[in-house]
Amino acid sequence: MSAATEAPLLELDGLVTEFRTGGAWHAALRGVSFALARNETLALVGESGCGKSVTALSIMGLLPPANSRIAAGRIRFAGRDLVGLSEEAMRKLRGNEISMIFQEPMTSLNPVLTVGFQVAESLRYHRGMEGQAARRAALELLDQVKIPAAAQRFDDYPHQFSGGMRQRVMIAMALACRPKLLLADEPTTALDVTIQAQVLALLAELKSAYGMAMIFITHNLGVVASIADRVAVMYAGAIVETAAVDELFARPTHPYTEALLRTIPRVDEDSAGLAAIPGQVPPLSAMPPGCRFAPRCALREAECEATDPALAPLPAAADHRVRCRVRAPATAAPRHA
Amino acid sequence: MTESIAAVPVERPAAAHWLLQLRRAFNANATSWVGLVVFLVIVALALLAPLIAPYDPLDQDIISRLEGPSAAHWFGTDSYGRDTLSRLLWGARLSLVIGSVSILSAMLIGGTIGIVSGYVGGKFDLVVMQAMDVLLSFPSLIMGLMVVAMLGPSMGNLIIAIALTAIAPFARIARAPTIAVKERDYIEACRALGYSDLRIMAVHILPNIMAEILVMGSLWLATAIRTEASLSFIGLGVRPPVATWGGMIREGFENILDSAWLSIFPSLAILLVVFSLNMLGDGLRDAIDPKLRGGE
Repeated sequence: MSAATEAPLLELDGLVTEFRTGGAWHAALRGVSFALARNETLALVGESGCGKSVTALSIMGLLPPANSRIAAGRIRFAGRDLVGLSEEAMRKLRGNEISMIFQEPMTSLNPVLTVGFQVAESLRYHRGMEGQAARRAALELLDQVKIPAAAQRFDDYPHQFSGGMRQRVMIAMALACRPKLLLADEPTTALDVTIQAQVLALLAELKSAYGMAMIFITHNLGVVASIADRVAVMYAGAIVETAAVDELFARPTHPYTEALLRTIPRVDEDSAGLAAIPGQVPPLSAMPPGCRFAPRCALREAECEATDPALAPLPAAADHRVRCRVRAPATAAPRHA
Repeated sequence: MTESIAAVPVERPAAAHWLLQLRRAFNANATSWVGLVVFLVIVALALLAPLIAPYDPLDQDIISRLEGPSAAHWFGTDSYGRDTLSRLLWGARLSLVIGSVSILSAMLIGGTIGIVSGYVGGKFDLVVMQAMDVLLSFPSLIMGLMVVAMLGPSMGNLIIAIALTAIAPFARIARAPTIAVKERDYIEACRALGYSDLRIMAVHILPNIMAEILVMGSLWLATAIRTEASLSFIGLGVRPPVATWGGMIREGFENILDSAWLSIFPSLAILLVVFSLNMLGDGLRDAIDPKLRGGE
């Protein structure tokens, strides 16, 4: 792929996003950096509260302005820094060049407007299409996301659609203006497994048809294997391990990644119960000073609780980077950021 | 009646959703139908007044003054010999026009204030709603008195006065559901699609709260007609000789002991309109209970 020589489509550089709770600002993202090439799919993986969705909302500029802010870092998209871009300019990007689909298809469509209207609306708004032209284009989109008998269902209301069909409609809306980047925030979590597989296949198909880059947020590693090119595992607001998808599954290196993989139930082994990672993500206001994962880590050493390791490449594979001073000891230099 | 409505095909609902919602509400509640029918009959009579009124409402016939109900004058005549039925029909036009224009303006202005205030939230919402509370603290009749006393009695000023009293309640009724709706996922999805705040409010929030506003409108129309009658009764309404219901009651009041029908018929007309609108509004309000709307 020539992606390596091109400038990346999206590049996050040391992104720090903070939330205000109880009068003090706490970092929900602590220096997140990654680059995404055109046509590439990056999976952001991690358990609830680790900053996956905050990353997506930061890129979209949809964080609530009253109690959140981007304190440091840059978000470069197609050569422009989105941090500090005016709301007006962001609005022109949203739904047009960057789109997002959400977890809950059942509540993400307006119940009082017809499905067809909602799909056509984005075209009318961003592309200035009118009347029949917008209707035709919207119908075509509904066909592309494989809504059966789209023409008959065009004027139906969302409550007449099933969850999987609604998620297809959401995808049609998000892709209406052929965005360069799609942020999919757990788009299949609320769907049952067969529908999930259909939606994933659809997303993969549309992604290559449209030549989009995609950030796929999930806590389901099974989904990651089937859709992603690269994976970034997040924990407590930072990327702890990133690698190509095959590499990550073959050689999970960070203890957290390992633990996540262990939690996937296997059909070929007998086990008494489901594996779990003890403890939970520490709250924003009470982050441990050293490695954020140290309190839950089996490999913990005294030094882990004092210094926060940096994300550094493994000696064997430069593209595989890990934030752990035990597993990647060369990278244990203390970070004073 | 209910059947003909239910026969409209549901497979392809072309009507806006809030219309469907109102239709469901009608079907669920028979009293709202009765209210609607009675009200529509009154509106029809008012519209047809030039055709069906037996006499000119301003024609004086001094020979036959203060006559009781008879074949020639069904509802009798007043102290100038004018036909009460004709004046009642023409007066209905005025009452309904004043009532509906003032309530429609209040709906528009109050509804906009409520949606914007609820949507923007924060300190803006606080300030706006306190201003509305100040408006609310005046009883509608007192507010009407003040405005008409300041601007002078005329149809336009009456409309302004009544609209002013109704803006605050509409702002409140629009604000509450706006606050609930703006937190829904589909509004977040609208933001992710880059829609402007104006578009989100007008296209995505308004149809969600339209039914509530309309129900409130039918109840407040009754209040507006009552306020108009009250102001006319105390001489602050449209000037004589134009027929208004409140004015007719007052004129009849001067002869209440020997010609009671002069006050009774316009009073009954007001009663009927207010009653029908309240039946309509109450029935709909029961049916559009927020608890029943959650499942959509």
